[in-house]
Amino acid sequence: MLTLSVLLPLLAAIALALLPRIGDRMARLLAVVFTALPMVLLLAVWMTDPPSGGFAAQFEAPWIPSLGIAWRVGVDGMSLALALMSALIFLAAAAWPMQIARARAYYAWILFLTGVSLGLFVTLDLVIFYVFFDLSLVGMYFLIGRWGHGDAQHAALKFFVYTLAGSLLILIAIIVLALSMPELTFDMRAIIAAPPLAALADGGTVVPGLVLLALVVGFGIKTPLFPLHTWLPPAHVNAPGPASAILAGVLLKMGTYGLVRLGLQMMPETFARWAFWIALLALASILWGAIVAYAQPNLKRRIAYTSVNHMGYTVLGIAVAGSAAGTETARALALTGAVVEMIAHGLITGALFLVAGVFWKRTQDYEIAHYGGLAEEAPRLAMMATLAAFASLGLPGLAGFVAELHIFLGAFAVYPWVAAAGLLGLLITAALFLQLLRAVFFGPRPAEGGVARFADLDRTEMAILSALLALVVLIGIWPLWLLELIDAATILAAPGGGG
Amino acid sequence: MIWTLPLVPALAGLAIWAMGDRPGRALPGAAAFFAAAATLLLAAMLPEGAAPLHWAPGLELRAGLPPMARAVAITVAGVGMAVLLYAAAQEAATGLGRLLGIMLIFVGGMQMVVIADDLLALLIGWEVMGACSWALIGHRWRESAPMRSANYAFVMTRAGDIGLFVALFAVFAGTGSTSYAALGQLEGGMLGVAAWGLLVAAASKSGQLPFAPWLFRAMDGPAAVSALLHSAAMVAAGVYLLARLGPDLAAAPGFAPGALAVGLATAVAGGVVAIRQTHAKKLLAGSTSAQMGLMIAAVGAGFPGVAILHLVVHAAFKAALFIAAGIAHHATGSHDLRDMALGRAMPRVALLVLPAAFSLAAVPPLAGGWSKEEILKALEAAGPVASALGVLAGGLSAAYAARFAILAFGLGREERLPVPAAARAAMLLLGAATLALSLLWVPTVSEAVLDWLGAAAPRGSTGWLIASLAAMGAGLMAGWAGARAPSAPPHHEWLGLSALVDAAIVSPFDWMSRHAARLDDAVIDGMGVPRRDDVPPGRGALALAVRGATGTASLAARFDDAWIDGQRVTPRSRLTPGHATRPAPGGGAIALLTRATAALARIAGRGGEAISDLIPEGSGRVAGLVGADLRRVQTGMAHHYYALLLAGTFAGALFLIFGG
Repeated sequence: MLTLSVLLPLLAAIALALLPRIGDRMARLLAVVFTALPMVLLLAVWMTDPPSGGFAAQFEAPWIPSLGIAWRVGVDGMSLALALMSALIFLAAAAWPMQIARARAYYAWILFLTGVSLGLFVTLDLVIFYVFFDLSLVGMYFLIGRWGHGDAQHAALKFFVYTLAGSLLILIAIIVLALSMPELTFDMRAIIAAPPLAALADGGTVVPGLVLLALVVGFGIKTPLFPLHTWLPPAHVNAPGPASAILAGVLLKMGTYGLVRLGLQMMPETFARWAFWIALLALASILWGAIVAYAQPNLKRRIAYTSVNHMGYTVLGIAVAGSAAGTETARALALTGAVVEMIAHGLITGALFLVAGVFWKRTQDYEIAHYGGLAEEAPRLAMMATLAAFASLGLPGLAGFVAELHIFLGAFAVYPWVAAAGLLGLLITAALFLQLLRAVFFGPRPAEGGVARFADLDRTEMAILSALLALVVLIGIWPLWLLELIDAATILAAPGGGG
Repeated sequence: MIWTLPLVPALAGLAIWAMGDRPGRALPGAAAFFAAAATLLLAAMLPEGAAPLHWAPGLELRAGLPPMARAVAITVAGVGMAVLLYAAAQEAATGLGRLLGIMLIFVGGMQMVVIADDLLALLIGWEVMGACSWALIGHRWRESAPMRSANYAFVMTRAGDIGLFVALFAVFAGTGSTSYAALGQLEGGMLGVAAWGLLVAAASKSGQLPFAPWLFRAMDGPAAVSALLHSAAMVAAGVYLLARLGPDLAAAPGFAPGALAVGLATAVAGGVVAIRQTHAKKLLAGSTSAQMGLMIAAVGAGFPGVAILHLVVHAAFKAALFIAAGIAHHATGSHDLRDMALGRAMPRVALLVLPAAFSLAAVPPLAGGWSKEEILKALEAAGPVASALGVLAGGLSAAYAARFAILAFGLGREERLPVPAAARAAMLLLGAATLALSLLWVPTVSEAVLDWLGAAAPRGSTGWLIASLAAMGAGLMAGWAGARAPSAPPHHEWLGLSALVDAAIVSPFDWMSRHAARLDDAVIDGMGVPRRDDVPPGRGALALAVRGATGTASLAARFDDAWIDGQRVTPRSRLTPGHATRPAPGGGAIALLTRATAALARIAGRGGEAISDLIPEGSGRVAGLVGADLRRVQTGMAHHYYALLLAGTFAGALFLIFGG
C-alpha cells in the first residue's frame, strides 16, 4: 500500500510528461486525483494497520542484494503523520487554482514531487532515502526556476546547489553508517536496532562526531538552521505560491525528519554528546529567525524567516529528546512537540504561503507597505490570514501552541536557560505577525502608490485554506488523536532510541 | 459539568459573530444578553468539582469552582450581561455582530481562567482572552489608531505571559504535573521561579507597573469593550490569579514583598495619573490600574479573600462608570471631560453615576468604602509604610472619582440629550448590584461572606481608620477643587512611562532587527539581493565560500593547462578573459611526453618519422580540444561548485572510511 502511494503519483507524472494531448484542465484534474489517492492509501494504512511500537505496513523487494540495498517501506507514527500531512499539502497545492503556462509540465513536476516526498518518508532504506532526498531538489528546482517570478533562475540555482552540498555530506554519513555495520546493509531498521558507531565508543569519538556533524550540517541546510538558512528567503520569494507551500510544508520537514531518523535514532550516543550544542544552534535559529523576520518589508520574505524560527523550535525539541539528560517523560514530550511542530508548521505555513500566493496572483506585489485596509475588500482573505497568523504565533486552541507547549515543557526540564531564552521568540513572532496583519489588512487604504483593487478569495481558494486551517483548529483543540498516532515515547524507547 | 461555563458563552459568541450585521440590534443583543444570563445561572448552580479532561498524553486539563472562583465567575457573567446590553444599545451598527460575538468569546476565555484548576487550562483561557482583547481593542479597524493600540496591548500583555509560561514549565519540571495542587508542593528555587513568573504575568494583565501603559492604549476600543476589559475581565484576571494561588505562593522567596511593592507603587502612580487626566476613559483607566494595585497589595499582605471582594465590588461600579463615559462620549462626540457637564442633559444617567462614583471614592455606606477599608486593614499587617501608601492611594481615588463625576455629570449643558433606555438599564443593573453589595457593611453579612470564601478578616486599628477617612475627605475636596480649576492634559502619557518603553525597548528592538536583517543579507549570505543596493554582493560568509570554491576551481584549471597539459591550446579565441595569463607552452606533462616521444622518434630513425609524428600531434590536438571544452564549462558557477564539492566529498569519504 505504501509502495503504491509512492508509485501512483510518479507514474501519473510520467504519463503527464509523455502524453502531449492532455489539456491544462485535465492535467490539473489528474494531479488532484493522483495526489488524493496516496492520501487515501495512507489513511487506509492508518485505519487498518496502525503503527504500534514499530514500523507498520512493511514491504520489501530486493534490489541490489550484494550491497544490502532494497526497496523497503514501512511507517511508524512519526513518518505516517508526516506523510499524511505532506499528502494533504500536495493535494492543496495541486488543487490551488493557477493560471500558468505549460500547465501539463507544472502538474507533472508536482506529481513527481509528491511521489518522491512520500517515498522519502515511508522508505526504510538509506540509499532510497538519499535518492529521494536529492530528487526532491530536482523537482523543486524546476518548479521555482520555470514557474517562479523575479530572479527565479538565480534563486533556484542557489537553492539547488546549497542543498545539494548538504545532501553530499549526508551521503558520506550514510555510507559510513552502512559500512560500520557488521554486515553491509542500508536497512534503517537494522541500523536503528543496533546503532553501529556506538561500538566505536572505546576511544574513537572523532569519526562518529564527524558523521554527526555531516548529518547536522546536511540536514541543517535543508531545515534550515541558522546560519545555513540564507538560501530559503530568495527561494520562497521567487517561487509560485503552491511551490512555496510545498517547500515550507514538506521539503523543510525532510531535514528535521532526517535529523530524528538518522541523527537521533542511528547514532544516539553521539547525538547525546552533542545535544546541548544542537540546542544552542536551535536557539540561535529561533531568535535570529524571529528578529530578522520582524524587519522584512516583503510579505513573503517575512513568512520565510518565520520558518527559520519555527524549525528552530523543532530542532530544539529534537535536541532535547536526544540529550541523555532529563527524564524519559520530558524527552518524549519534546520529541512529540518536535513532530507536532513539523505537522503544524506544514499546515500553517503552507496556508500562509498560499495566502502570499493570493497577493502575487492579484497584484504581483509583496511589499507590505503598499497595502492597507484590505479587510474591507477581502474579508475572507483577512479572516484566513488572521487565523493562520495567530496559529503561527502560537495561540492556544490552534496547532502551533500544542507543538510549542510540548517542546518547551520538555526543554525546560533539560535545558531551562535555553528554553527560557527561546520563549522570547514567542513574543517577537507575535509582534511581527500582528504588525503584518495591521499593515496589510487594517487601517485606512494607502493614499497613493498603493494597490487599487483587490479581489477576495474565490470559492476554491477558500475551500482549500479552510480545510488546512480547520485541521489546525482541530489539532489545537483536541490534539489527543495526533499525539497518540505519533507516539513519540516508542521512538525513544526503541533500542538505541536515545541514550 | 464545569466546562460548560466557558463553552456556553464562547459558542454563543461564535454563533452571533457568524450572523454578522444583518439581524440589526435587537436580536443579537438579546441573544448575547441571554447567553450571558445563562452563564450567570451556570456559574451559580454548577457543582464544585469536575472530572479532568484528558487533553494530551501526560497532560490533563482540570477545573473547579471553589467559592472564590464562583464569586468571580458570577461577577464576570453579571457584568457581561450589563455591558452586552449597553453595547447592543449604543455601539456602532457596523460590525455589531462581531463586537458582541467576540465579547462573549472573551467572557468565555475569562471563565476558563476562573475555573482553571491547573496552569495549562489557565494558560489557554489567559491567551484566548488576550487574543479576543486584541480583536476588541482593534474593533474599529478602518481607522489607523485602534489596530496599532491593539497590537501594542497584545504584545505588552504577552510579554508578561512569558512569566506564565515559565511558571507552568517550572511547576511541570519540578513535579511532573501542571495542577495547582502540584504548585503547592514546590519548594525553594523552583517555587520562586513559579511565583515570580506568575507575578509578572499578573502584573502585565492587570495593568501594573511597568506594563501599565497598555491600559491607556486599550482606550482606543469602544466604550463597551473598555467597560468589560477594565472591570470584571482581563485586568481582573491577574488579581484573581494571584488571589487564588496566593496561599501557595506566599512561601516563595520575595513574593509577598514583591507583590506589595508592585501593587502599592501602581496604586499611587495610577492615582496620580488619573487625577490629572482630562480624557474621561483614560482617567478611569488610570484608576483601574490603581485599584488593581490595591488588590495585589492585599494579596501580598496575606489577605487574598479581601482582594477578591474588592475585585467584585470594583467590577460593578467601574463597569457602570465606563458605560457612563461611553454614553457621554456618544452624546458629545468628545472624550474630553471639560466638554461634558451633562447633569441636566441626562439627569437619570447622572443619578445612576452617583452610587458608582461614591463607591469608587470609597464613601460609606457604599460597597467600595467597605472593601477599601478592608484592604487598608489588611495592609496594616504589612507595616506602616504600606498602610501610609494605601491611605494615600485611597485619598487619590476619592479625588479622581469626585473630579470625574463633577466634570462629566455636573451641571452645565442645558439641552436634553437622548439616551437609549437599554443603556440606562445596563447602568441600573450595575447600580443595583453596587447597592446590594453595600450590604457588606452589615457585619453579619460580611462575616458570612468571608466565611464562605474561607478568608480571614483583617483587623485594623482606629488610628489608620481615622487617617483613611481624613484622606478620603481631603481627596473629595481636592477633586471638587480640581473640577472647578481649569486643567490642561498632561504632557506625558502615564508619567512618561509610555515614552520610556518606546525609547528603551521598542526603538532599540527596531534598530536591532533592521541591522540583523542587513547582517543576514550582507554577512551571513553576501551573495547580493536583487534590487537592493545597500547589500553589496560578494563579502558575506556564503559568498566567500562560493568564491573560495570558484577560485580553487580556476586554479585547478590553470594547473591543468600549465602542468598537466602544457601544450599550446587552440583555438585561442575560445579562451575567456579570466584565463588570459597563459602558461608558456612546452612545460607540462603532456608536452614533456610529446617531446620525449618526438625525441624517441628521431632516434628511432627516419623510417618511423611519419608514424611517430602522428602520436604527439594527434594527442596534443585532442588534449587541446578537451582543455578548451573544460574551460568553457568552468565559466558557469554551478560547475565550479561541483568541482569543489566532488573533490571535498571524495577526500572526506576517503578520510572517514580509511582514516578512522
